[in-house]
Amino acid sequence: MKKLSKDQIQNLYTFTRNHYVYHYDLQTELVDHLANDIEAIWKDQPNLSFTEARDQSFKKFGVFGFMDVVEQRQKAMNKKYLKYLWFEAKQWFTIPKIIITLTLFLGFYLSFKSSIANYFFWAYYIIMAVWCFIRVVSLNRVFTKRKKLNNKKWLLEEIIFKQAGGTGLVLVSQLPTWHNITQDSFVNGYFVLSVSIFTTLFFIWLFISYQLLPDKAEELLKTTYPEYSL
Amino acid sequence: MANSKLYKGSLTTIILKLLNESDKMYGYEITQKVKEITKGELKITEGALYPALHKLEADGLLDVEVKKVDNRLRKYYKLTDKGKKETVNKLNELQEYIKTMQVLVNPNFSLE
Repeated sequence: MKKLSKDQIQNLYTFTRNHYVYHYDLQTELVDHLANDIEAIWKDQPNLSFTEARDQSFKKFGVFGFMDVVEQRQKAMNKKYLKYLWFEAKQWFTIPKIIITLTLFLGFYLSFKSSIANYFFWAYYIIMAVWCFIRVVSLNRVFTKRKKLNNKKWLLEEIIFKQAGGTGLVLVSQLPTWHNITQDSFVNGYFVLSVSIFTTLFFIWLFISYQLLPDKAEELLKTTYPEYSL
Repeated sequence: MANSKLYKGSLTTIILKLLNESDKMYGYEITQKVKEITKGELKITEGALYPALHKLEADGLLDVEVKKVDNRLRKYYKLTDKGKKETVNKLNELQEYIKTMQVLVNPNFSLE
């Protein structure tokens, strides 16, 4: 039976990349699929050239080619990322990390109850915004370095390093619209309580997505992609 | 080929059922197996199979394994414990659906 050569496999990797599949994990799966199909096509039509057989096989993916598969893969991986995030988040509500969570909450609560609550509020959020910004820049740098070293792009890696906590940054950037939060708002006990809870959760979420998950990237990539360490 | 729209909703169940019967399978193998069992009546399209597999994997119903075969890497899928339980549920759901449809299209058929 006619089998694909190493060069032809490489050609299939390039082919998938030219058809908008940029991540190595999905490329690998599609390359194997096309390769199997091409070999099956060759069984019936042994005289067909590699390119002809490849194009025949690609046609089976429909007019949009790999687009739908790519889009759905992105969705599935985002879900997986959120699962990792959720797993980390849960740790902050069990012993021993819950002690840190409670201390944080208490710290926020006491400062928001003080007579200069609004200054504390602005100080905390500005510090978080600055820290987020620094982390985004540094994570981007790490991501570029990793790519140079490895030349392969992994979808989960991109999510961890590039869009991690992106929503956090958006939220922090909305700070100026919160200008109507004044000292008077902090007189209301429920307001103080909810702002303290929100700030605690927000802080934990930022810390997980900007620090903990990127720190654990290698481990997460190894668990998600068995081919990562191959 | 029969109306593929009718099969669309059952794709996940078909995949789970096939994986339940063998230790592990890869994408292309699944498409071929379905074609073989249904004698070509049902062809799972590539564009639908992989999204379904990736979703099942993200939901924790499937686990993946990668092996080097010939000169390329092959990704295998297998059921997790959660996936095995879900297969039983999904198959029951499908049986119920088939029964209901039978009653609808054939009034002489009874649910009793």
